[in-house]
Amino acid sequence: MVDSANAFTIDQRAALTAKLDSFDIETSTQIQIYTTTNLQGYDIVDFAQRLGEGWGVGKEGFDNGIVIVYLPKTDSTNGEVTIQTGYGIEPLIPDATCKRIIEHEMIPCFKKDSVYEGFKRAVDVCISLTKGDFKADDYGNNSIGGFWGWVLDHLVLSLVLGMVGVWIVIILVIIIIAKCTSGGGGSYYIGTSGSSSGSSHRSHSGGSHRSYGGGHFGGGGARGRW
Amino acid sequence: MKTKGCLIAVVAVVLIGIFSVVVWYIKTGNKIVRLDEGVAESWAQVENVYQRRADLIPNLVATVKGYAEHEKTALTDVVEARAKASSVNVNPEKLDAQSLQQFEQAQGNLSSALSRLLVVVERYPDLKANQNFSELQAQLEGTENRIAVERRKFNEVAREYNTYIRQFPASIVANSRGFEKKAYFEAQAGSEKAPEVKF
Repeated sequence: MVDSANAFTIDQRAALTAKLDSFDIETSTQIQIYTTTNLQGYDIVDFAQRLGEGWGVGKEGFDNGIVIVYLPKTDSTNGEVTIQTGYGIEPLIPDATCKRIIEHEMIPCFKKDSVYEGFKRAVDVCISLTKGDFKADDYGNNSIGGFWGWVLDHLVLSLVLGMVGVWIVIILVIIIIAKCTSGGGGSYYIGTSGSSSGSSHRSHSGGSHRSYGGGHFGGGGARGRW
Repeated sequence: MKTKGCLIAVVAVVLIGIFSVVVWYIKTGNKIVRLDEGVAESWAQVENVYQRRADLIPNLVATVKGYAEHEKTALTDVVEARAKASSVNVNPEKLDAQSLQQFEQAQGNLSSALSRLLVVVERYPDLKANQNFSELQAQLEGTENRIAVERRKFNEVAREYNTYIRQFPASIVANSRGFEKKAYFEAQAGSEKAPEVKF
């Protein structure tokens, strides 16, 4: 989780990071959120794919990484968002499903300026799809059935949320230890695009020190604008 | 006695020399084979994603036909370009400039036929609202991204191979065993960025 665009409050950042970390530990599937105001000249989809490949989001061999890149809307430019799936995620969350997540969960929230809500919903959907609670085809078609679908969704959600409190405590402890023992964290680049961009990206990383496992990305996923 | 000792020493040195050259030759040859395999694997991925696009087309054409029947030219163009693109076979052992160019041209024709069709489709709001069609367009867009990514990855792997086989002294091994330079995909305008498909 890197929030260069300052799209989240500190609490929101911690909550999302905790959610992603616990999911990573539980299932080894890694979801990387990256918000930025500068795509360094890349197309957003290209940017996200290179980021996933360059950092190796997901586990080597499983390629089970997901990268979500968010570019906030400004007065003169559209907001953009993309979900890129690792090779291993492609069958679980096909492109059309990525598109639906973006259009049904994220953009409606982004239009109301609740960026966090949009991300939370998208992440919840990604988590439930990759967990195999229900198949990607079911999502958005409501074929899972009104009432029971609702119960299932909220059961999953509440289980995930139940973990969050525990993880917040653990992560706070990690942050405190990291703050006390070392000066600075690592810097992030995309591929070999230079060294000057490191400092601006470092400042808001969510305090997480997860290691990436060498997942690969083939360009699957979707994009959206608003 | 003294000359005999010298002779043994010289023979030993020569033998060690020959032995290490042979070992180096084998090792270098194996590394080239490994890199060559990497290029072939990458090429398979490239074909894979282009095939993925070809597989989407029948469904796309059928969906568009249901709403825009009189756009015959645009539709047949796509179908024909697809057939042509599928008929181009590239030998993965021999990825030279000529065969790559043929492949590029056939796939490029299909790309432009597809984008013409998608421009035509703009005039049919009912089609654009169709759930099946919007899924297809998402898949198509994702596939175009995949094509861009796999082309780039292929170029990276091919570059690594080419650099290795052309550097001295590995070039000696490459020449003697008949390993040839691989061609690259040209970075066409718009291939670095995923083509902006407007629906």
